Amino acid sequence: MSDQSSKYRIVVDGSFTKFDIGNMKKKIENQKRGDSDIIIDLSGANKFDSLSVAFCSKLESDRSVRLIKSPELESEIADFNQTAGSDKAETPEPDFTEKLVLAFYGLFYHIRDFIILAADIFYFSFVSVISSKGRKKGSVYEQINLIGNNAVPIVFLLSFLIGLILSLQSAAQLRQFGANIFLVDLIVIAMITEMGPMITAVIVAGRSGSAIAAEISTMKITEELDALKVMALNPLKYVVAPKMLAMTLSLPALTIMANLVGIFGGFIIAVLYLDLSPNIFFDRAVDVMSLNFWGQSILKSVLFSWLIVIIGSHYGFRVKGGAEGVGKATTASVVASIFAVIMTDAFLSLIFYFEF
Amino acid sequence: MEKNDKIIRIKNLIASYDGNTVLDGIDLDIKKGEIFVILGSSGGGKTTLLKHIIGLLKPVHGTIEVFGKDILSMEHYEFDTILKKVGVLFQGGALINSMEVWENVAVPLEQHSDLSLDVIKEVVKYKLGLVKLGHAYSLLPSELSGGMKKRVALARAIALDPEILFFDEPSAGLDPITAAELDNLILNLKEKMGITLVVVTHELESIKRIADRIVYLQKGKNIFCGTIEEAKKAGIDEVDRFFGWA
Ligand SMILES: Nc1ncnc2c1ncn2[C@@H]1O[C@H](COP(=O)(O)OP(=O)(O)OP(=O)(O)O)[C@@H](O)[C@H]1O
Ligand SMILES: [Mg+2]
Repeated sequence: MSDQSSKYRIVVDGSFTKFDIGNMKKKIENQKRGDSDIIIDLSGANKFDSLSVAFCSKLESDRSVRLIKSPELESEIADFNQTAGSDKAETPEPDFTEKLVLAFYGLFYHIRDFIILAADIFYFSFVSVISSKGRKKGSVYEQINLIGNNAVPIVFLLSFLIGLILSLQSAAQLRQFGANIFLVDLIVIAMITEMGPMITAVIVAGRSGSAIAAEISTMKITEELDALKVMALNPLKYVVAPKMLAMTLSLPALTIMANLVGIFGGFIIAVLYLDLSPNIFFDRAVDVMSLNFWGQSILKSVLFSWLIVIIGSHYGFRVKGGAEGVGKATTASVVASIFAVIMTDAFLSLIFYFEF
Repeated sequence: MEKNDKIIRIKNLIASYDGNTVLDGIDLDIKKGEIFVILGSSGGGKTTLLKHIIGLLKPVHGTIEVFGKDILSMEHYEFDTILKKVGVLFQGGALINSMEVWENVAVPLEQHSDLSLDVIKEVVKYKLGLVKLGHAYSLLPSELSGGMKKRVALARAIALDPEILFFDEPSAGLDPITAAELDNLILNLKEKMGITLVVVTHELESIKRIADRIVYLQKGKNIFCGTIEEAKKAGIDEVDRFFGWA
C-alpha cells in the first residue's frame, strides 16, 4: 500500500460525497499526528457533490497533504470556485480606528434619533389630545385597559409585599431605640416618594414597555407602518399617541394605588409587630403625608411613563432584520427603560432632597 | 392638455440605499387611465421605484410629479391629500395583524371619510365582495392564506376609490386561476372606475393580459418603455429573453 515508509496514502475510488468527508478527516488527523506525509489519491473517484468538492478545494491549500485529482474533480473544483467567487461583494473589513469612528457616529445618530422621536411623540400626543383625528377609534380606552387595568393585580401584590418587607426590616431596628412611631414616617415617605413610583414604573416597563417595542418593531418589519403611511396616517399619531396618552394616565394612577397599598403593608407590620394602635398609625400617617410628597410621586410617575413609551417606541422603530430583531428590540427597550427610570429617579430624588 | 394626461412623471430619478445606487437616472411618464407595468430582473429596483413614487423613500436626485405636482418639495399635509387619492398594495400585503379583516379595510374609511360606522361596515362588505372575500369578514390576517391576504389588501387599497393604484406583485404566489381572476378584477377597475394602475409583476401571462405599456428596469436603468408591440420590435436582448422572443 505505501511505497515509502514516511508516506501515507489514502485511496478513494468511485464516489466521494458528503458522507465520506468525516471519515477522511479522521484519517488525515490521525496521520498528521504520526508526522508522515499524506497522499490522498482521488484519481479513481468520479462522483462528487458540492460539499465534497468544497472540502477537496480546501485540501488543495493544505501543505501537509498532497492531493491527486481526477480530471472530473479538477473541473468540478474550477466550477465551484468560479460560482462561489462570482459577483462577490467586496467590502473590506474596517480597521480599529474606522470602527471607533463608526461606533461614535452610531451613538451620535442613536441619540439624535431619540431626541427627534421624543419631540415628535410629544407633539403628536398633544395634537391627539385636542383632536382624535388620525387616531385609531377607541384605542386610548383599549390601551388604558391593557397598560393600566391589567397591571392592577401585579402592582397591588408587589407593592404590598415591598411595603411589608420594608417595614419589617425597619421595625426590627427602630424597636431597639423605642422609636416605633417613626416607622410611620419611614414607610409613608419611602413609599410615596421612592418605592411606589419606581416599583410601578419597573413593572410597567417590563409589561408594557416591552409590548410597545414588540408591537412597533413587528409592524415595521411586516411593512404595516409603511401601509399606514401610504394611507396618509402617521404611525406616531395612529399607534404611539394612544399609548402615550394611556400611559400618562395609567402610570400615575397605578402609582397612587401602589403608594397606598405599600403603606397598608407597613400598617400591618406596625399593628401586629410593633403594637401601634391603628388610630395612632392613621393620625401620624396623615400628618406626614404632605402634598409635596404626593407631588413628587406624581411628577416622577408621569416622567417615567413618558420614558417608557418613548424608549419602547425608539427601539421599535429602529428594528433591523426579522423575528430576531424584534426580540433584540424588546430586550433592549426593557433594559434601557428600567435603566432610565432608575437614573431619573435618583436624579430627581437628589434635587428634591436638597431643594425642598 | 398634453401635460394633463400624464398622471405621474419621473425625471432623472437616482436612488440609493446607504450609498449603493439602485436606480440610476430613471425617466418615466405614466398616463391617466392606463395599466402601466414595471418589469425587470429580481433586485432590479422595481419595489424601490414604487416606494419612491408613493413617498416612502426620498431620492438622492431627480423629480417626481404626481397629479402634476412635485411631491418632493411639498408639505406633509399636501402630500397627504395626494395619498388619499392613491391606493397601495404591498408585496407582502402589509395588513395590520392585530385587526380583523373588516377593520383593516375600514381603516382608511374611518380615518378619511365622514361616514358613520354602520355605513362604513356596508362599504367594507361591498369591497370585500369585489375581491370575493365576503366570508372572511371577521377573520384575523393570520387566519388567511397568502392569496387571501393579497385580496384583502386590495380591498383596503380600493376602499377610498383611489385614482391611482399601485401593486407590488399582485399575482406572485397565486395559482393561475386566482391570478387570472385578479387580473380581471384589475381590468375591471380600470374600465369601470377609470383607475390608473401601476403594477410590478413577473408573470408573463398576467403582463400580456393587462399591460397597456411596460417599462423594463435593468440594473437601475430604464432600458425600454412602451407597449408590448413596440417591445417586440425594439429588439432589446434582455427584453426579448424576458418574454421568450429570443
Ligand atoms: N431596505 C433596503 N436596504 C438596503 N438595500 C435594499 C433595501 N431594499 C432593497 N435593497 C436593494 O435594492 C436593490 C433593488 O431592490 P428592490 O426591492 O427594488 O428589487 P425588486 O426589483 O423589487 O426585486 P424583486 O423582483 O425581487 O422584488 C436590491 O439590490 C436590494 O438589495
Ligand atoms: Mg420587489
